[in-house]
Amino acid sequence: MSQEIAVVGSPDFTTGFRLAGVRKFENVPDEEKDEQLDEAVSRTLEDDDVGIIVMYDGDLDLLSRQVRQSVETSIEPTLVTLGGGAGAGGLRDQIKRAIGIDLMDEDED
Amino acid sequence: MAEDVKPTRKNLMAIEDRIELSERGHDTLEQKRDGLIMEFMDILDQAQDVRSQLNQDYETAQSKINMARAMEGDVAVRGAAAALKEHPEITTQSKNIMGVVVPQIESSRVKKSLDQRGYGLLGSSARIDEAADAYEELLESIILAAEVETAMKKMLEEIETTKRRVNALEFKLLPDLYENKEYIEQKLEEQEREEIFRLKKIKAKKEEEEKAAREEEGPETTPPETVPADD
Repeated sequence: MSQEIAVVGSPDFTTGFRLAGVRKFENVPDEEKDEQLDEAVSRTLEDDDVGIIVMYDGDLDLLSRQVRQSVETSIEPTLVTLGGGAGAGGLRDQIKRAIGIDLMDEDED
Repeated sequence: MAEDVKPTRKNLMAIEDRIELSERGHDTLEQKRDGLIMEFMDILDQAQDVRSQLNQDYETAQSKINMARAMEGDVAVRGAAAALKEHPEITTQSKNIMGVVVPQIESSRVKKSLDQRGYGLLGSSARIDEAADAYEELLESIILAAEVETAMKKMLEEIETTKRRVNALEFKLLPDLYENKEYIEQKLEEQEREEIFRLKKIKAKKEEEEKAAREEEGPETTPPETVPADD
């Protein structure tokens, strides 16, 4: 089954992706993120045609706890965040929980 | 817990069987967990490379689009973005790593040539083309990152459940079973000791009775022996 990539974020963030041909996007202006981001992300999560969700890492902090958790643990569609360091998007916490060691500690590398 | 079982030999045998099975399961699960962690380490190295590439691509793409915006104006960039006709698509296949199904994502139509983009050659500038190029590259990195990070998430989930099972067996089920086994064994020993004691008691009582009976009979039977011989 062929799927598409979706981008959720501010208009500035999504424009570039639209330039590369991404058709599914949710524009949420910065000043309305507090109210509308949750809804936009939930809508994208429920869309069966979406295989990958692209978001700006800082936007995750604006989500409600519930939506954040569901988008971080979602496997289909998968969340890819941009702008954060390694292990962004909840992956680092999950590794700490499952393995017991913070494998993504950059100081050690 | 230990008091819930009936101290019978049948239960003891059943518990011994369960202990054997649980220990075998525990060993197997432990091996699975270690194997999964090793596989995970391989993917983790890969993921870190992909991540750094992704961040690099994102920075490049951002600077390119900012440049395009500054030179051509926001409206031109948005106009070009709205004109795109070809859309990238991804297809997902699955691969099996130690029982964990991880996706393999294949993409099509991410990279497009100038004439495929649809915003026309005359209406746009080279800067918009460059930005589009950079974002196409970024999309490819994103697709790769999505594949690797989904695999990591799935492996982590599996590692977590396996770890939980190993721990449940090691720290809950097996200690309980051993406790039950010991309880039954001690109870059975206790019963055996009681049985021996009872038998000894009965034997002693019987002997006493016999002795008493003999003594009772004694005076009646002995007189003939003590009959004075008639001189």
